Amino acid sequence: MESFAFATIKELKTLLVNKEVTPEEVLAASLARFKQQDPQIGAALEVFEKQSIIDASEHSGALHGIPGLIKDNISQHNRGLTCASKILADFKSPYDATAVARLKQAGAYLVGRANMDEFAMGSSGETSAFFPTKNPWNTACVPGGSSSGSAAAVAAGFVPWALGSDTGGSVRQPAAFCGILGLKPTYGLVSRYGLVAYGSSLDQIGIFARTAYDTAFVLSTIAGNDPHDSSSLSEKPKEYIRALDGKLPEGLRIGVVDNALHAEGMDPEVVQAIEQAIAQYEKMGAKISRMQLPTLDYTAAAYFIISRAEAASNLARFDGVRYGMRTPDARTLREMYFKTRHDGFGAEVKARIMVGNYVLSAGHADAFYSNAKKVQRLIRREFVEAFADLDMLIMPTHPAPAFTFGAYKDDKLKMDLQDYFTCAMNLSGNPALSIPCGMSSTKMPIGMQLVGPHLSEERLLQAAHAFEQVTDWHAMKPGI
Amino acid sequence: MTKITKEEILKIANMSHLDIKEEEIAPMMKQLEEVLTYAERVGQIAAETEEAVVKNTNVFREDVVLHSDAERILERAPEREESFYVVPAIIEDK
Repeated sequence: MESFAFATIKELKTLLVNKEVTPEEVLAASLARFKQQDPQIGAALEVFEKQSIIDASEHSGALHGIPGLIKDNISQHNRGLTCASKILADFKSPYDATAVARLKQAGAYLVGRANMDEFAMGSSGETSAFFPTKNPWNTACVPGGSSSGSAAAVAAGFVPWALGSDTGGSVRQPAAFCGILGLKPTYGLVSRYGLVAYGSSLDQIGIFARTAYDTAFVLSTIAGNDPHDSSSLSEKPKEYIRALDGKLPEGLRIGVVDNALHAEGMDPEVVQAIEQAIAQYEKMGAKISRMQLPTLDYTAAAYFIISRAEAASNLARFDGVRYGMRTPDARTLREMYFKTRHDGFGAEVKARIMVGNYVLSAGHADAFYSNAKKVQRLIRREFVEAFADLDMLIMPTHPAPAFTFGAYKDDKLKMDLQDYFTCAMNLSGNPALSIPCGMSSTKMPIGMQLVGPHLSEERLLQAAHAFEQVTDWHAMKPGI
Repeated sequence: MTKITKEEILKIANMSHLDIKEEEIAPMMKQLEEVLTYAERVGQIAAETEEAVVKNTNVFREDVVLHSDAERILERAPEREESFYVVPAIIEDK
């Protein structure tokens, strides 16, 4: 049997259209790859039975026969939905998320549920209540997080695309650690209906793929207004692949965020890889200038406060009454709440709920929450001003390549600071795309972010696609 | 630098509806102090900016029933009776 490992959506579509292969054969090959290799990686919490996958989707459409994996905080009707938490270990979703419904309508095969950090809280995949996901490039290293399983499955060639969610960098950082593309769309472009809320004003469903073309293809399927999500924008569906002509937009003005690229603690190899990519863009005809985003150095702090505050409210619903786990033998309702939440949530989730309630509580809300909202306003304004005379920004996704398991066991703040370069765009709502741009001396992938004004996904994908025509970082494969 | 006392940890845990075991208090104090001390820096530049102007807009829809299939929601409860959720005693014995 042909394995179709590492085949892109574009390649698979060509094979399917020419009837050189059937959708069922493509699916069987993907399932075989999970079965054979996922025991070493741990990307999926569950891989579904073949016929049930076929039955769940339409039998035609733009993605007919293309397998993909869904992060386990995005609802799939009658499938498990655990958020990698004990508190939802036996929960089954009563409906499809809008993004999932659109993928099924397009004929895509949703093969399973991807592992993740519990409730999307983490940057390494290590907070999953079930098991950690390993980086396909080196299984001693983390794949990044929180969308750990989605990133690893695409990087390992199990599926050509996957969905994740990005609240502070949870799609872009694992994409960079795993050597693939990760897109966080503009806030409101993709419906959040059916995405389990972490920080509602920051959360966005994002896409993992190995090429800009494939990313554009999936985005075209899931983007657009949804009456079920009142924060979704009134955008009409768009064919994002149309702009991908292999060239950069004429006279593209790129700003390099210098205070990010030369921030303290940046790995010199990452800086060098990004500088080479910038030189490549210049060679391709872009106008490069260096600039600063002074508020960037305060965005992680603001993000910590706002995301934890929203998480504390959003996770109040897990109380053992309506769904999920309930600790047995509680004598009173109050005892049942307290014990269920203590036993059901992992340590990181509990810490974030605690931080959230602290920064919202009387006496602390002004110093923390109100000031964080002001910082959010400042970074939004800085982006608006930057894009007055620039089309796109380049900045790092991560300070250093993927770290080893347990590296930040005793320094949780350092783990939290993995969001340093990514969370600003969650605060501002801007789209950001992490693309592979280098390889470390230890053979671990390096990524960088392309950032644009609101709803500039087409331009970001065009710039990434053009970069892929003259470099081969995106085409490198781990030796698993 | 934000200092967190044991009493504060217990108070926040109570607000959060979370039991907290004795051995969980010290690591929780450390983690909260570290992240809050870091987060304090928002105050450094926030003083230079004006209050955020709230520009939220309401998104309305007609008040009509879209879904009425309560069974698929109720059937996910840990314990239920007909169309009710069953919970332990609400009023505590003194």
